[in-house]
Amino acid sequence: MIKNKSKGEDSGLAPIWNWKITAFAAALLLFVGILAISFGPVSLSFQEIIRTLLGLPGGLTGQDRTLLIDLRLPRALLAAVVGAALATSGAVYQTVFRNPLADPYLLGAAAGAGLGATIALTSAGADLRSLLPVFAFFGAISAVLVSFFISGKFFAEPNSLLLSGIAVGSFATAVQTYLQQRNSASLRPVYSWILGELTVANWQVVTWSSIYIFIALIILFTVSKQLDGLMLTDEEAYSLGINPNKLRVIAVVAATLATATAVSASGLIGFVGIVVPHLVRGLTHRVTNRGLLTIALVGASFLVLADLGARTLLSPAELPIGVITAFVGAPFFLFVLRKKRLVAQ
Amino acid sequence: MINISDLSVRIGQRSILSDINIEIEDGKWTCLVGPNGAGKTTLLKSLLGSLPYSGSITDNGVEVFRNHDRNVAFVPQHPQIPIGMGVGEYVMMGRSKRDGWGNESSHSRKMVVDILKLTGLFGMQSQHVSLLSGGEMQRALIARALVQEPTLILLDEPTSALDLHHQISVLNNIEILKERGVTIISTMHDITLAAMYAEKIVVMQEGKVLLNGTSDFVIHSPELKSAFENRINVYTLDSGRPVIVANKDLTS
Repeated sequence: MIKNKSKGEDSGLAPIWNWKITAFAAALLLFVGILAISFGPVSLSFQEIIRTLLGLPGGLTGQDRTLLIDLRLPRALLAAVVGAALATSGAVYQTVFRNPLADPYLLGAAAGAGLGATIALTSAGADLRSLLPVFAFFGAISAVLVSFFISGKFFAEPNSLLLSGIAVGSFATAVQTYLQQRNSASLRPVYSWILGELTVANWQVVTWSSIYIFIALIILFTVSKQLDGLMLTDEEAYSLGINPNKLRVIAVVAATLATATAVSASGLIGFVGIVVPHLVRGLTHRVTNRGLLTIALVGASFLVLADLGARTLLSPAELPIGVITAFVGAPFFLFVLRKKRLVAQ
Repeated sequence: MINISDLSVRIGQRSILSDINIEIEDGKWTCLVGPNGAGKTTLLKSLLGSLPYSGSITDNGVEVFRNHDRNVAFVPQHPQIPIGMGVGEYVMMGRSKRDGWGNESSHSRKMVVDILKLTGLFGMQSQHVSLLSGGEMQRALIARALVQEPTLILLDEPTSALDLHHQISVLNNIEILKERGVTIISTMHDITLAAMYAEKIVVMQEGKVLLNGTSDFVIHSPELKSAFENRINVYTLDSGRPVIVANKDLTS
């Protein structure tokens, strides 16, 4: 009896992270992924999909096979990779800037990518449409770099970077609007890009975006345990064996690489970067960055599911995925927020 | 023995500390006192190695700034409070340097539970840090410092913003640290309390050391009054304890 009691006291200290949660998130992603590639205007059977993917006899043939391999699979993969990138970057920015409202587009990445994309779509001379991702990528990276150089005081005060990011973002948006007004034919394609689209998904896009995003995520997962130290003051971080300045630069650079890649591959998909980290933290009652992998997996599942909705709800027409993420994400998020507050009381 | 010699710190054009020379004895409690802006917190930050400085700070002959393995605990005056983090998790962070970030040994878990009991925080481990009262937060910070098993602990105004009851409970918690042989350096506003608890007092003014010695010596020095522009009076109680009170008559 006494022994049990002392055991109970020990377990009063919850483990910092429970890996069962991560395993559950991975299983969820797998399930959602299979769901996404089997549903659509043409439904494919689970069994045949799995046989096709594993290269077993009795798989899909002809048009169905092309539909799976060249359309649905790359699209689901892109959604997963982009979702993981946005959710992880969002969580990291929230920690680095000690601001629960920070999102991956904060440092001007979104506006910069928007400007890059608009330049590609409005250029009169050559047809640069196919180079849109490249333009968007460099637009995003340039905007963040400019924010970095202007702020200068990043080491002393992370918030100054945040403010210069907002200023650079506004400037890029102003230039983008000017270009759009001068070339009204571009309004519609630019608008639809801004709302986010995964229709461009093909194996080429999936490959290059996966490479960049994987590099960025591996860096972030490697430093994820130490990121908790950035939730404290710099002096406390030093005393706990962390160099906060170095860690902040590594985290921001990697998160920006992931965001810029995601934006250039799929346009601006809002909400994932804020909602998913808070959702995972709310449901697990853990704010530690040790849950970063889980946040990535849930972000991937969320976007795969949102894309399934985007292409099936008004089938054969498509909804912009950004509309789905906000439409479904916002109420669900509010529900969790409310529930969490009740628990805290 | 921590030896600070010719320590100077500049931030931009401003000189914050100039030519500080003091020796800090191991296992003793040294208290930095002086008016706001005297450079007390800057001196603590230099000892932590988080601030570039000129001159040298050595710990048993080893240049502190270059020795990153040193285990120094820091209790800030204004901690950054992680929203949504539980007290247990917060205190467990103190073990990060020993276990390596992201690992928590069963030894550490046991130690955290013990220290939570010692500081009267046991039972609150899953409560959010952001919901703690001022006194509880201060005890959580000291608990985190305790589990760090430091050789040196720096406390920045550990008792400011606390009522007398909590001031005493926090100071007693710091005494626990001293009993474990930890060297303590703190800043404190209240000189009476400083004289009561600390063995050594360093009086600072405008980035310089004005007085340095045992508490008794410093309290009874005439220079102490001039550090506070003669706005204080020192009385001695029947028990021999000194009491420092504000002098209402500013013309004296």
